[in-house]
Amino acid sequence: MKLLTLPAPLCLLSLAAALAANASGQPLLLTGATVHPVTAPPLSPGQVLIQAGKIAAVGTNLDAPGATILDLSGQHLYPGLIALNTVLGLTEISAVRATEDTTEVGDYTPEVQSWIAVNPDSELIPVARANGIACFEPAPRGGIVAGQSALLATDGWGIEQMTLRQPLALHLYWPAMDLNLANRPPTKTRPKSLEEQARERQTKLRDLMAFFEEARAYAQAKAAAAKGKAAPPPLVPAWEAMLPYVEGRLPVVVHADTTRQIRAVLAWASTNHFRLMLAGGREAARVADLIAAAKIPVIYTHTFTQPFRDTDAYDTPFATPGILRRAGVKIAFSIGSDSFNAPLIKNLPYAAAQAVAFGLPREEALKAITLYPAQMGGIADRLGSIEAGKDASLFAATGDILDIRSRVTRMWIAGAEVSLENRHTRLYQKYQARPKPKSP
Amino acid sequence: MRTFRNLCCATGLGLLLCFSHAGVCAVHGASLLPPGFRPLPLGIHALVGAKVVPSPGSEIANGTVLIRDGLIEAVGQDVPVPADARVWTCRGLTIYAGFIDPLVVPAATNAPAATSAAEPDRRLELTSPPLQFFGAPGVQTDPGAAGPGAAVSRIRPEERRVRHYTPQPKELEPLRDLGFTAGVMAPASGILRGTSALVLLTEENPNELVLKPDVFQHVSFETAPAADRLYPSSLMGIIAAVRQTFLDARHYAADWEDFRAGSRPRSRPPFDPSLEALQPVLAKKTPVLFEPGSALMADRAARLGRELEIEFCLVSSGQEWRRPDLARASRAAFIVPLDFPELPKMPEPEDWDPVDLDALRAWDWAAENPALLRRQGLDIALTTYGLKDRKKFRAHLRRALDRGLSETDALAALTVIPARLCGASDYLGTIEPGKLANLTVVEGGGYFEPDAPLHSVWIEGRIHLPAAAPKSGKSGAGEADAATSHPAEPTKAAAKEKPARDEALRAAHRSRVAQSPLEGRGPVAEPRSVLVKEAVVWTCGPAGVLSNADLLIAEGKVKAVGRGLSVRSDYPGPPLVIEGAGFHVTPGLIDAHSHTAILGAVNESTLPSTAMVRIADVVNSETDHLYQQLAGGVTTVNLYHGSANPIGGQSCVIKLRDGAPPHELIFDAAPPGIKFALGENVKQANWGDKAVTRFPQTRMGVQAFIANRFTAARQYLAEWDDYRAGRRRPGAGVPRRDLELEALGEVLQGKRWIHCHAYRQDEILMMLRLMEQFGVTVGTFEHVLEGYKVADEIARHGAGASTFADWWAYKFEVYDAIPYNGALMHQRGVLVSFNSDSSEMARRLYGEAAKAVKFGGLAETEALKLVTLNPARQLRLDSRIGSLEPGKDADFVVWSGAPLDSTSLCLQTWIEGRKYFDRALAAERAGRLAREREALIAKARQIQKLSGTRGSRDEADDPAAFFKTCLEHQHDGLDRDCLDDVTLR
Repeated sequence: MKLLTLPAPLCLLSLAAALAANASGQPLLLTGATVHPVTAPPLSPGQVLIQAGKIAAVGTNLDAPGATILDLSGQHLYPGLIALNTVLGLTEISAVRATEDTTEVGDYTPEVQSWIAVNPDSELIPVARANGIACFEPAPRGGIVAGQSALLATDGWGIEQMTLRQPLALHLYWPAMDLNLANRPPTKTRPKSLEEQARERQTKLRDLMAFFEEARAYAQAKAAAAKGKAAPPPLVPAWEAMLPYVEGRLPVVVHADTTRQIRAVLAWASTNHFRLMLAGGREAARVADLIAAAKIPVIYTHTFTQPFRDTDAYDTPFATPGILRRAGVKIAFSIGSDSFNAPLIKNLPYAAAQAVAFGLPREEALKAITLYPAQMGGIADRLGSIEAGKDASLFAATGDILDIRSRVTRMWIAGAEVSLENRHTRLYQKYQARPKPKSP
Repeated sequence: MRTFRNLCCATGLGLLLCFSHAGVCAVHGASLLPPGFRPLPLGIHALVGAKVVPSPGSEIANGTVLIRDGLIEAVGQDVPVPADARVWTCRGLTIYAGFIDPLVVPAATNAPAATSAAEPDRRLELTSPPLQFFGAPGVQTDPGAAGPGAAVSRIRPEERRVRHYTPQPKELEPLRDLGFTAGVMAPASGILRGTSALVLLTEENPNELVLKPDVFQHVSFETAPAADRLYPSSLMGIIAAVRQTFLDARHYAADWEDFRAGSRPRSRPPFDPSLEALQPVLAKKTPVLFEPGSALMADRAARLGRELEIEFCLVSSGQEWRRPDLARASRAAFIVPLDFPELPKMPEPEDWDPVDLDALRAWDWAAENPALLRRQGLDIALTTYGLKDRKKFRAHLRRALDRGLSETDALAALTVIPARLCGASDYLGTIEPGKLANLTVVEGGGYFEPDAPLHSVWIEGRIHLPAAAPKSGKSGAGEADAATSHPAEPTKAAAKEKPARDEALRAAHRSRVAQSPLEGRGPVAEPRSVLVKEAVVWTCGPAGVLSNADLLIAEGKVKAVGRGLSVRSDYPGPPLVIEGAGFHVTPGLIDAHSHTAILGAVNESTLPSTAMVRIADVVNSETDHLYQQLAGGVTTVNLYHGSANPIGGQSCVIKLRDGAPPHELIFDAAPPGIKFALGENVKQANWGDKAVTRFPQTRMGVQAFIANRFTAARQYLAEWDDYRAGRRRPGAGVPRRDLELEALGEVLQGKRWIHCHAYRQDEILMMLRLMEQFGVTVGTFEHVLEGYKVADEIARHGAGASTFADWWAYKFEVYDAIPYNGALMHQRGVLVSFNSDSSEMARRLYGEAAKAVKFGGLAETEALKLVTLNPARQLRLDSRIGSLEPGKDADFVVWSGAPLDSTSLCLQTWIEGRKYFDRALAAERAGRLAREREALIAKARQIQKLSGTRGSRDEADDPAAFFKTCLEHQHDGLDRDCLDDVTLR
């Protein structure tokens, strides 16, 4: 009786069956559910055949000899959600400094690698997984060029098993361009003079450009050495780390919020051939057309922030994703890469849902937490949709995953069913079973 | 130490009676200076042929002013000139009564009370040093400053500026150059700062300059320098401290009275010079001059003044344009600085982009504020206070005149009004026989032409020429030539176009572009009745969810809910009909835990108990958060003190009647509440490594501390009961009102509900058992993230639980927080609500409620109650709000779809039958603001263009003033939570 009220994965029998099916390499046919391939209209009901960790086929009437059949009637199947721009795994309890591994010292630390500091046994990861988050990007925070991120699955024995792609991107925190005007929140320290602030701003930006030029020069010297045209340059780990980015092989995620910052990023983008993405994007709607023209995607982190300008509409942060998408900008949602939000990565679909309420088409919202982040991460060949040939990372839910009321019932990562149990469900079970205390 | 003479002077009478004898002018006997000193001139002068303005609004052409021995002897057109008078031909000059600056603060480079310093510094505000105050342990024997006095170091009403007043030419010359002849020398820092002195602005023997030694008692809401870390650190704490001090002063008088008259043996009252110094204020002999620092604080100061039954006036913050209604309601005179913010020189044009509308409005409104105050029927006196460069005074005054202040009012604001406010009308303010011969003499077009040179000022019958004499070189030479007027003429070499440009500049300044911030706020519809037809109505009452139902509203109340309602004939008018088909309607949402509309700091974080601090004193009606949360369907918000101390401040429930002033936001039906807190925050676990000196530092200490305060409160109640019943031990004196213990006493009496921030199960049980010992039922536990572990105990005690939907793992004590908490507690019989504790999340509280469906499987009707009926019950307001039932307040929301569907949105929000939010109007509202901002930017550009780049008086020498965000908007767009202003959450 009680078991029925628990999340479905605790129904141990079916879990055991599914695990067994996978362990034996036996195909698994998911049937009866509404399948949301994301790249195609939903199939209702549809079928998904999983074999050897991959999606073997998607259809309505698949031929699957020898497959274990799992009936998911009434449920919805979605590709695993992808949470970009998080500090999941790099923090456990934000107020306990010992558990924080999010932020390094120094303005230029490209050789810093986030994935090697992810705690695979963080209690936060299973909580994210239990709401359909199949993979996440731990992103280093810090000065300007903070370091490199990776894409990790929310399941695996250790960081090496969890890692899907590393490095994924370089994280660049664009220097603030607004002068410290309003002094909010108020501090006792007097802001520097406007001229001095303007000079410092200019210096910071020039240094930033120079850093990438110097990295490019290193790449050029290396290339020359490789062709035997010059002596190899002395090995510099930071310049080494910059190679894939200045060579345009991997993306640089530029964190920028204000129109001015974004304009500056776009101007910079026109002078190089780097693969740039924006993260943050608080005021991106104001320059949506420019961003679209530059074909730069945006990882939007501000759905759940308050209007910034006092002339902003109350719904500016909610409406921005819709405006960007209508302008032709590719977007992905992030609920923010501050430590406070790391335990709440599970709420990623609700940032997308909020944007739907304020004008983003529902299908686009779903893509912005699945397919688009996969494309941005250069891993859409494996993730982001339910299509034959991709990793079998998907989950079943009782309803629309954008609806807070829906519950995730089953989940597979790379074909293996994963437990949806977590610290929350364990404590829930424990205290649900607490006998009523006798009256004192 | 106070001498007899000083006490005598303190009445303000001693000197007045004798000032005409002590005056500086008579040259006989003792006044004859020894050889070697320059001899004093004779004191008989006739100023003839001038335009004399004896009082504002009157004028004598070709008039004569006769001066004898420092006093005006006669004034008029046909005054015969005595033979012994020295004659000054004053053709072309205008003679005014000498100006009075009612507020001169030493080294007056500091701006008016610090809106920017209204918050403690996050990094430094770590702990409270040892204090002997309200139960904190201490090692200091001297509680505040050295010597006896108030325990709060910045409460020093006994300070007298007159004691240390030494005239400084550097300070006085600039004032005289502006025409001032007398000034009120005020103390510069602190909360209760002490008294100011009215002095003549000359460099003589101070004994002879002082006209009145104690003019005002100065009260400012200046928060502590960060390094001090002393109570009070917040605005609400300052108000509480002022209130308590005045109560103490009354008690002090009564106690001493009782001691002197009463029986023996009797306990000896303490000596307290601070409280003694306040007796003239309580006797209404010395008025208080409040320096509120912001528009809303002016209202608060006026209310405080009336509450304390004292005479008072206010220093204008220059921001009264934000709420003229509140300025008018203050019924107080304002002392008005002319420190208008000036346009900064931006390094690059794009730097204008992030400038907020509000900064531009403040810039554009500033010059109109004096006229606006006059339009509210208020008296104003002008001061140079706040001006970094006093030379701008007359130019700014001209701008104020160009924006509607009349010259008569301006003259009154320089003469008769300040004279009256200082209680000096008998001898200052007008040119009348018998008054002091204080005159301000201006050449050319008169004082209100900024370029007309000041000819001279006369102070007690002696002439003072401007420090920098006009370049013509004539006036310095002496009397006879003074007649020749020199109209304002810069050197002929000056650019020809300058006057034209100045005129254009003046014209540009003259018209206001900025709108009132009250524009577009308040209800957008106020129909007499409303009928919502055929909607899905979530009543949150016994009727449950009704599809295809009607909701009838009249007189601000729900009249009926059900299918096919018809409007009764006795309801007023035809109702406004909302076609509700396809829409859902719910009660207005209630956010049971918020800090969203609090002026200044959320925490009075210094002391472990701040039960005397009241959120109701600092409700911020002007923050944009009100509208943003209305747009999320929220209608009622419970504002809490933060969680920096075991016993926090008194809470305040408001309705989001955006546009109404603070006292009209307050939901008066709400029973009083008080915030308590347990665990990491109060033991300063996350405040940084230096915060280790305040008791308590452990959960053990938290229990001991709260037990101590309740024991004290119990004794306090008993003491008062005995006193009222006449059972008090003879000689025990008069009991003292203690606002901390009074609030805790109300808890013991069941009149005030405890809302206790708690996380861990052990501390929840501790609190339950401790309160049970004192016979107290806890109202609600807040956050209560381990409430699910002790749900049965909470339910049995009868406490509610107001929790987060899913926050966890942000600090160690919430590592065991689970999103099933709400549902589990509900299932075990606890009354549960979900709250935001966040200005951001408050906008989407409906989505938080939906999480209880997901985690724990609550029925949707029950989940919605987590943000409607249940918080109403926890706040003991369920007879008024929380469900749509006949007789309840018509607070309701129209949704585009099911309220728990995360893709639904709020379309309309109504409070008491008035529509406060309509999505259909929201875009236009934002557009209007954006257009206003553009127009203001255009005006700013034009003015900058006209004023050129160098040497213009319109260029800001202090750009910080332009960028200073007013107190009311300092936290807009910034999220605020329990440990706001202290450290991490």
